[in-house]
Amino acid sequence: MNFELLVDRLADDLEPVRPRRLWVDVGIMVLVAAVELALLFAVGFANLDLHRLETQPTVGWRLVSLGLISAVAGYTAIRSFDPTYSAKRPVRWLAAIVALCLLGGLFLGDVPGGVTTLLRRLEWTDGIHCALRITLLSMPPLVGLVLLGCRGAPTDMRRSRLLVGLAAAAWGAFSFVFSCPFNDPLFIITWYGLGCATTVLLARWVLPRLACW
Amino acid sequence: MAEERWRTLMIAAQDGDASAYRRLLLELGPWLRSYYARRLPAAMVDDLAQEVLLTVHAKRHTYDPTKPFGPWIAVIARYKWIDRLRAMKDSLNDELEDEIAAPDNGEAAHCAYTLDALMSRLKPAQANAIRLVKIEGLSVKEAAARLGQTIALVKVNIHRGLRQLSELAQAEHHEF
Repeated sequence: MNFELLVDRLADDLEPVRPRRLWVDVGIMVLVAAVELALLFAVGFANLDLHRLETQPTVGWRLVSLGLISAVAGYTAIRSFDPTYSAKRPVRWLAAIVALCLLGGLFLGDVPGGVTTLLRRLEWTDGIHCALRITLLSMPPLVGLVLLGCRGAPTDMRRSRLLVGLAAAAWGAFSFVFSCPFNDPLFIITWYGLGCATTVLLARWVLPRLACW
Repeated sequence: MAEERWRTLMIAAQDGDASAYRRLLLELGPWLRSYYARRLPAAMVDDLAQEVLLTVHAKRHTYDPTKPFGPWIAVIARYKWIDRLRAMKDSLNDELEDEIAAPDNGEAAHCAYTLDALMSRLKPAQANAIRLVKIEGLSVKEAAARLGQTIALVKVNIHRGLRQLSELAQAEHHEF
């Protein structure tokens, strides 16, 4: 097509647009996450039992770790939808945060030991249910972030999809903590890890297909 | 200077000012062409510049009016360039299809093969002189320099070589 003709067509097609605002996108995601959590409490899937904080030492660790990862990854993911933003350094910070959170699990006491009990500790039937629920619970934030990604213009798709996946997965796991009765760090790292990895892989597959521009 | 003007025009465009938008796109055209002229084959430059204009149109809401315009348009141009390079790389790995619509080059290929066969029967000095001057289009002087021969010798080699080629071709024709 002739260059001038294209310019004319685009100018004729012009309509006012509202520039993308970071705080609006962050607000939308906070709302999505809050509504999801409120619904889980409303239907009885989750319950806020403060007594569990004393009897299950991993509850606090899980809530703080997953909440922190979700918040940092979510905020960085939204920022990465700005074409001029580079998420290189924040991703390194996030990797350090994830590593610290995992290390934190090692210092939690009251864990059954011994290699022979390893398989019993994993409780794979419950574990698979746990991983599946985490993946399902991560869907609302995943959909929200992918839609925001489609509206934005991510230029570093590799990092954007990782951040989207991590944020959604961590939020799914965070929501699941309120209904999870297990307290063994091995069980948690294994099955929470599987559920989160599934969401990360899903984001890796979905985001480039929908948010490519 | 241009960047500040483009920023003002873009802000106006986000508000729906079509004439500012038209001016902005027209001014971006030469910049994009010069950007891609240093990075892509000439045949692709205009095509990609137009693609960037379409992207600017679709993603104009992602420009933050509080920030400079230059980095925004530069990152979009770069992103599209990398995208195109990736597509070019992928197309290099495309498998050949059994049926490709292409002109029949059989005759030309047959001629080239026959010529090669005939040239191989000439003396190397004659074949080289003919190849450089009559096929590759070098001047006699350039061919002489490349072959390390005098101009007169190159001319003689071409003359004798062509005469021998003609005789060989006629002999081949009579054999068939």
